[in-house]
Amino acid sequence: MSEPGVGIELSHVTKLYAGQQQAAVEDFSLSVDPGELVMFVGPSGCGKTTTMKMINRIIEPSSGSITIDGQDVLSLDPNELRRHIGYVIQQIGLFPHMTIAENIATVPKLLGWSRERTNNRVDELLRTVQLDPAVFAHRYPKQLSGGQQQRVGVARALAADPPVMLMDEPFGATDPITRQKLQAEFLKLQADIGKTIIFVTHDFDEAVRLGDRIAVLGERSRIEQFDTPANILANPANDYVSSFIGHGAGLMRLALIPISDVELDAPDATAPAVDADSSLRDALDLLMVTGAERVNVSGGEGSLTHARISAALNKARHPVEAS
Amino acid sequence: MTALTEQRARLGLKRFGTPFAVVVVLAVLFLWLGSLTLDSIEERTLNTSYLVERTQEHLILTVASSALVALLAIPAGIAAYRVRSKAVRAFVIGLGNIGQATPAVGVVILLAIVWQTGFFTALISLVAYCFLPVLRNTLTGLEQVDQATREAARGMGMTPRQVLWRIELPLASPVILAGLRTALVFSVGVATIATFINAGGLGDMIVNGLKLQRYPVIVVGAVLVAAIAVLIDWAAGLVEDLVRPRGL
Amino acid sequence: MSGSLDVFLARRWEDLVMLTLQHLAVVALSLAIATVLGVLIGLLVWDRNVPRTAALTAAGIAITIPSLALLALLSPVLGLGWAPTVVSLVFYSLLPIVRNTVVGLREVPAHLVESARGMGMTPVKTLLSIQLPLAWPVIVTGIRVAAQLTVGIAAIAAYVAGPGLGLYIFKGLSSLGSANALNFALTGTICVVLLALLIDGAFVLIARYSTSRGLRV
Repeated sequence: MSEPGVGIELSHVTKLYAGQQQAAVEDFSLSVDPGELVMFVGPSGCGKTTTMKMINRIIEPSSGSITIDGQDVLSLDPNELRRHIGYVIQQIGLFPHMTIAENIATVPKLLGWSRERTNNRVDELLRTVQLDPAVFAHRYPKQLSGGQQQRVGVARALAADPPVMLMDEPFGATDPITRQKLQAEFLKLQADIGKTIIFVTHDFDEAVRLGDRIAVLGERSRIEQFDTPANILANPANDYVSSFIGHGAGLMRLALIPISDVELDAPDATAPAVDADSSLRDALDLLMVTGAERVNVSGGEGSLTHARISAALNKARHPVEAS
Repeated sequence: MTALTEQRARLGLKRFGTPFAVVVVLAVLFLWLGSLTLDSIEERTLNTSYLVERTQEHLILTVASSALVALLAIPAGIAAYRVRSKAVRAFVIGLGNIGQATPAVGVVILLAIVWQTGFFTALISLVAYCFLPVLRNTLTGLEQVDQATREAARGMGMTPRQVLWRIELPLASPVILAGLRTALVFSVGVATIATFINAGGLGDMIVNGLKLQRYPVIVVGAVLVAAIAVLIDWAAGLVEDLVRPRGL
Repeated sequence: MSGSLDVFLARRWEDLVMLTLQHLAVVALSLAIATVLGVLIGLLVWDRNVPRTAALTAAGIAITIPSLALLALLSPVLGLGWAPTVVSLVFYSLLPIVRNTVVGLREVPAHLVESARGMGMTPVKTLLSIQLPLAWPVIVTGIRVAAQLTVGIAAIAAYVAGPGLGLYIFKGLSSLGSANALNFALTGTICVVLLALLIDGAFVLIARYSTSRGLRV
């Protein structure tokens, strides 16, 4: 039903703006696997957005090559190219003079889909992002809340079922509670559709929460480290990456380790209980809050102590694939 | 450095391009006039003393009416603002809309019919015509002042009068001045029509030229009045730039 | 008084209706021409600094020129009647329309244009289906301002035998001292005011129904 992701390859990509001494992006090479969600994270002005925008040629690279599914992006007609790449920006960019349905139908219309196919697709997508088509299809963007608009933005980007999505701080303008909710929904959605996604953010927590791999970018989009969240947290490549992670790396890592990955002690029915599918961070949280010695993992397989949790964290310092 | 000098040059061009163009146009006009052989009818109007007199009349009418408008309409606008009544506001805005819809030529001619012809009628109708836009701009300019700024001033212990003079009027001044500038340019145009009711001005030349089929007379009258309008608008723009509080 | 207003109106209402329609026609024709021209000029200059400044400055200077002066200058070339009237009305309408087209297009948020381009819309398609519709409310306001301006100027154009209600105003002047002078001038002026208010009201409706519901406040 949904087209799976394809690989993206950037090699020696440089962007030098006319009249400027230094390149905005210098000699950037990176390979993204099909179906992978790669986060570009770095401070503002580091060139992460510029790098991403060269993939759909909103910004033309000065040199280097970019391929999607082995095909050279620079040899394609940019308009045709963009119709097959989903694009979500921070301001969402819903067209205020068009209804939600018309917004989502933009790319299908450009591609000349039949009205029936377009309408079906719009309904399907609205349901995918948990908006009732009967209620929302004929509303205008201003009649939606920020979170709802953001969902429509994602639906619009998915309209023509592109194998690749580019997302530029898509949740950046929403309040923390809405953002967490959108992130969770987005992860679920991605689990279903398996697109290849490049996601730009300056929020390292977000990068850890969402990414399969994270590219930590420094000035001129230099790749300081490109690895899984767990590996970056456990083994930051240099001081720059450490400073970017900031405090609380241990807690962040705990959040990435599911309880099911850890060896358990014998169950203790008197201890407070934690869900089997939650993370070590949730277990630790419960320990702190209750002051108990151990927490019982519901389902009855066993229990966890402080010592077990620290041991799991230290074991993870030796690279482990976070699931 | 280069960007700065370039910007300065552009500013200079903006500032002095207009009067320069006007001077060039006037020079061309008088060169062309000098090359013509004028008949007796044309000579009666196309001589220095006649031109100076008409121009003077035109300028006096324009400046006097604008000054009167400033004296009357700005205080009226402030008063209308300070009563803070929705009814007064609606009345002023509604009157302003009707005023905008009223043809200037109708006002001038009506007043001449019910009262008399001549300079004072022209002056009064000019004031009446330009009063409303300035009043409206004063009111809206004061209303546009950010509520938070006003509140901050009150919070520091300023009296309403102090808020008006130190905060609201300076902040509203660009809008008020823009209204005055419009009024000035209006006045130049309406003063042209004053010729219909024997109030003199450069309109005399245009009307006479049309009546007597003398093209040079029309051209000189029309170009002079256009030059005055453009220059007055330019000068008002300059004053606007100078008077505007820094930071706005 | 022999020239009472009701007798005056009863005798001349057909004449008055015709003049009002003429007035409306010359304003509508001029606005139509000015809209096409003004929006085109706006489209050509809005995103280029030098042409934009040049166009706006020129239009700004043009609009300060007194209308009687322009009409007088045009009449030897274009004769009397409709031609100089329409040309001068178009001339004065250009500033508000060009300016508002430029402002409207520049106010379209950059991220919307980027979104459209990012989805693969061509520049022309982006202009037609995103930028112009979003700028439209501002452009309509410009046309509305131009309409107010031209209704009044058309009254002066009667002096060069232009069509419309100005005729009555000038008849009032030329019959100064006679019983009907006031009737002529008053009727002419009031009809112009009513026509202007009517046209303004019409523009409120036009703006409303030609603007997407998503843009209405």
